[in-house]
Amino acid sequence: MNGLKSFNARRLSVAGFSFLFAYILSFQFEGQVLYSLLDLRGTDADRYILTAIIAHFAGLFTCGLFVKSQAAAKSMMLGGMGLCLAATVPFFFPLPTLWMGGLIVSGYFSGCAVAAWGFFLRAFTPQNERIKSCADVLIYSNLLMIAVNVVAMNRSTFIGLGLSVLCLVIGMVFIWMLPLVQKNEQNKTFKNKTHGGIKNPLILLCLFVFIITINSGLMYQVINPAFEHLTGLVSWYWAVPYIVALAIMRNLPMKANRSRILYIGMAMIMGAFISFMLLGRNTSDYLTVDTLMLGACGIFDLFWWSILGEMLDYSDNPSQTFGIGLSANVFGVLCGGVLGIAVTSMGLPGAEVAVIALTVVCVTLAMLPSLNHQLVLLLKSHAYLAAYDNMSQSQQTDIVRQVKTLNPLTVREQEVLQLILSGKSNREIAGALFISENTVKTHARSIFSKYDVSSRAELISTLLKNQTVG
Amino acid sequence: MKLIRKRRNGYALLFAASICLAVWFGVTSMLEVVFAFGAISLISLVLLVRQSRLLYDATLIWDNRILAVSSALISMPGRQIKKDIEETVVSTFGILIGSEIYRWGLDGVHGVRLHTAHIDQERMYLTFGDAAQTMRVDLLHGMTQKQAVLDAAQKLLRETGVTADIIGW
Repeated sequence: MNGLKSFNARRLSVAGFSFLFAYILSFQFEGQVLYSLLDLRGTDADRYILTAIIAHFAGLFTCGLFVKSQAAAKSMMLGGMGLCLAATVPFFFPLPTLWMGGLIVSGYFSGCAVAAWGFFLRAFTPQNERIKSCADVLIYSNLLMIAVNVVAMNRSTFIGLGLSVLCLVIGMVFIWMLPLVQKNEQNKTFKNKTHGGIKNPLILLCLFVFIITINSGLMYQVINPAFEHLTGLVSWYWAVPYIVALAIMRNLPMKANRSRILYIGMAMIMGAFISFMLLGRNTSDYLTVDTLMLGACGIFDLFWWSILGEMLDYSDNPSQTFGIGLSANVFGVLCGGVLGIAVTSMGLPGAEVAVIALTVVCVTLAMLPSLNHQLVLLLKSHAYLAAYDNMSQSQQTDIVRQVKTLNPLTVREQEVLQLILSGKSNREIAGALFISENTVKTHARSIFSKYDVSSRAELISTLLKNQTVG
Repeated sequence: MKLIRKRRNGYALLFAASICLAVWFGVTSMLEVVFAFGAISLISLVLLVRQSRLLYDATLIWDNRILAVSSALISMPGRQIKKDIEETVVSTFGILIGSEIYRWGLDGVHGVRLHTAHIDQERMYLTFGDAAQTMRVDLLHGMTQKQAVLDAAQKLLRETGVTADIIGW
């Protein structure tokens, strides 16, 4: 019964967020509806678009400061979406003076509403299923966005705007129906068992997300304008490769090695910019470039969204963690957009623009593997440490005894190992054993060497495997 | 260790001075002098890095000392060196003899490791090395009581995992 209840809550939560996100994608955050409206009025689009992005970034980044419980998160989502609704109304009328204010308000509060959803993602989706919930919201919201885009670009911009607003209203209904649950005890346990907090993994993740999304910003400013003449095709095909990539990634078996697919994604981004440089600007060229670019975006977006989702278990405030993670994405889009605007405003020929974009991509890609590797190790380390702490004292002692027989450690190394396994930092170990931090590091290196591992996460993983075998 | 620190500071000073002079001569457009001081700063940087690493190892050895003695005799295949130095320290991670360092246990299982330890009434014999080379160090340990020898052996076992062979006590 509880399972059914939580399944329904999960569906409600996914549906509510998907509709909210569809509004954001189709209108507020570089949406086709907004572009069409600005084009219709002949106003300077860049100023409005950048303002909306900055406001959205601010909303995502600051939401965690005043949303600290699930009830507050629900209120924020409903209130924020209501304000977005009010701020969108002026766009039905020729009142450009109110538009800027409307974009600031809707940008800020849509950011807050998105960040607040972190509470519901954590509460209603089991830990290993977050990748599926994240894929679902991205797929559904993009499908809705395609529908709105097709209407806005082929029928009427105002009908498209009306559909965007309708998405917002439907989203509000679903969020209003969401139940509020008591504090999740399991999450509380995990949170308290996490040593050192999630600050460092989150910073690494944000850096990763920021770098990778610079490409998206460049894409908006460099690639998209080059295919503006293919209005009909662009309106429906643009996000199709993205959705297909998400669907494939979502339905891969859990055992599948997703890290290899990340490398395919990197190659696809490279391929997209090279194709953009070499090919022309007709339909087949657009299909090639867009498929490569948006397919890669789908692969990477699901990767970091799901990591962010898993991180929520180690966070005191899921809306803060979720908001900060997503704000890195928005900041990346913003920086990429500004870079793209600067590059195109210089009036460089298409090939040179593509070469510059490709150079940025190459620099980005060169940094990605090491960042990715470190991030995964850090997250794995947290998970394993939590698993070890949940064991009884006798199980822990058994593991250490097995270490002794497999490859003898000195007494000092055993002491250091015990403290590593209990999740202590090098500084804490040094304090506990009255030795210097450098000594601890040297002992730790020696222990890693004896087990032929390169990190704490691998060491603990090895010990857990040994225990299973034993 | 004092000597290592002194050298490290000297190289740091030389590096800073040569960089400053290179910049100064660069401003006055004396290219040949700039290249000369640039080369000096590069060499002093390499030496500085090397001495800093040595100092790091020496500090590590000093911080984890097991035994401090006044004399050491180092033997390698083909030659023997006698050293009488004030500061000889046996530690978890090697021996510090004056400004010379013999490391073990710093590079994991594939690096230099302490193999054996023998203690007689006068000396302590330590054998260490890696797959390529083995060295032996003889120390005049200066211990007169059996308990002190047992304590040293116990500490050696705890820190390095090597059981000392105590002879003649």
